[in-house]
Amino acid sequence: MGVIVKKVELSWLDRSYVWPIAQGMLITFRHFLKQIATPTSKRFTIQYPDMKKTLPAGYRGLHELKRFEDGAIKCVACFMCQEACPARCISIEAEEFSELNFTQGFEEKRPAAFKIDMLRCIYCGMCEEACPKDAIWLRNEYELAAYDRVSMNFGKWDLINTYAEADGKARLTQGQESPATPSRPASGQSGQPSDPA
Amino acid sequence: MESVAHLTGLSAVTIWTLLKVLIVFSAVMGIGSLWTWVERRGSAMLQDRIGPNRALLFGRWQLLGLPQLVADGIKFFFKEDQVPPHVTKSLFWLAPVLAFVPALIGFAIIPFGRSFTYQGMPYHLSVLEPGNGMGMLFPLAIGAVAVYGILVAAWSSNNKWAILGGMRASAQMVSYEIALGLAVLAIFMRVGGYDPSEIIKDQMAGGWYFWRQPLGFLVFFTCMFAESNRLPFDFAEGEAEIVGFHNEYGSMKFALIALSEYAHMISASGLITTLYLGGWSVPFMPEAPVLLTILSFLVKLLFLLWVFVWVRWTLPRFRYDQLMFLGWKVLLPLSMVNLIWNAWWMTRGGI
Ligand code: SF4
Ligand code: SF4
Repeated sequence: MGVIVKKVELSWLDRSYVWPIAQGMLITFRHFLKQIATPTSKRFTIQYPDMKKTLPAGYRGLHELKRFEDGAIKCVACFMCQEACPARCISIEAEEFSELNFTQGFEEKRPAAFKIDMLRCIYCGMCEEACPKDAIWLRNEYELAAYDRVSMNFGKWDLINTYAEADGKARLTQGQESPATPSRPASGQSGQPSDPA
Repeated sequence: MESVAHLTGLSAVTIWTLLKVLIVFSAVMGIGSLWTWVERRGSAMLQDRIGPNRALLFGRWQLLGLPQLVADGIKFFFKEDQVPPHVTKSLFWLAPVLAFVPALIGFAIIPFGRSFTYQGMPYHLSVLEPGNGMGMLFPLAIGAVAVYGILVAAWSSNNKWAILGGMRASAQMVSYEIALGLAVLAIFMRVGGYDPSEIIKDQMAGGWYFWRQPLGFLVFFTCMFAESNRLPFDFAEGEAEIVGFHNEYGSMKFALIALSEYAHMISASGLITTLYLGGWSVPFMPEAPVLLTILSFLVKLLFLLWVFVWVRWTLPRFRYDQLMFLGWKVLLPLSMVNLIWNAWWMTRGGI
């Protein structure tokens, strides 16, 4: 397929270089004057560790596994997200569950292990779309870095506690109900390698 | 002056010369290193960025990013001085000096203030006294020598990309030399001499050459950018994008090469000031006091240095064929036109 390249006819003034260069220099100089009058904090540059970008509400960052009011996990281990994931980075193990004192009790199934390999995840949000229970959300958290691959393998208890702002529910750890201590606190410090449960 | 001369047993002339050498070279070095800061800070301002501000003095004072200079110095001194095993050692060590010294001594001829007489002795404010017979030919010759620094650095690196970079840079510098020479020739012709003090006196009488030979100014100005390897002609050292001749250099040797670019820039600005902006002369004040003339020179010099920075952060780099086209097919004819037009004008009795 041929592409039509538009040829721009330059006037002799433009081809002389001198006038366009003068114009360009005027533009940059205007920026210079404007920047002098602008305090550092108001400039375009975001000085990352000190200032953070406010991301739009729809940003797809770190995942969170949602919980009910009583703390029970919303996920029913239906494997929909695992199937939907184009990067094949979710792996779920289901377990039977029949204690009726939890909201989830009616569901009779919950994930025994829920792993997401954050290094393979492409943050497409497919899992979020696929979930019939609204159990998996992608949050605003974007500071995802670690010193090794193992710590980027997020387990169930990591994912339960990744909420960007605390939703009032107690942080869940393995010690309280059953499984592990989340290795990665919501404040974003890099943690030790997590328990892959 | 006399008493110092008496104490040290040197003649007053010698001491004055030594003093001048000291002042001029430390000023060039000082302004050069200061300009690395101006460059960064100015570029940030021109392009809506922030610029260096993380280095703090004693962990407290930001001082507009100036501590960055100190940090740079410390970094350059303490960095491991890597010499790759495949280089030609002696030339490799010599090259930064070869690049730096011509850039530095190019400034020697440029008068930075009015000559004055003190206690019956004339004092001239330039390292080389006026009437030494070299005049403005000296910086032009030195400018040509600067190519050696680049070539030696490129060759001794024993690395094909460095050699290509060196070839690029030296071809550029040599190409622009001719247009440059012809542009300056038009001034020599008008003045009837090539001593900087004569050129300045001529400009004080007849107006700056900036107005009298705008075409020549344009050619000279452009060539100076190419000569000092500044953007938009920085084929010698595109730090991040193209492999330059100083590819193998690190730590203090690299700093010397980088600083020589700034020294070059200062010499170039000094030359432009002297040739086209009336040197140290103060407009409308033929008998200005000495300090005022030095101030006038400094203002012009610093303004031109700022223009160098300003242009760098406005224009993108030329492509290599465009550069050669501009040098040979545009600037060279233009500078010939300028020369011939001036010659014709002089035959008609014009000044
Ligand atoms: S965001 Fe996309 S890639 Fe990441 S876990 Fe969900 S479905 Fe998989
Ligand atoms: S789709 Fe939702 S409910 Fe189903 S396994 Fe995934 S997170 Fe759990």
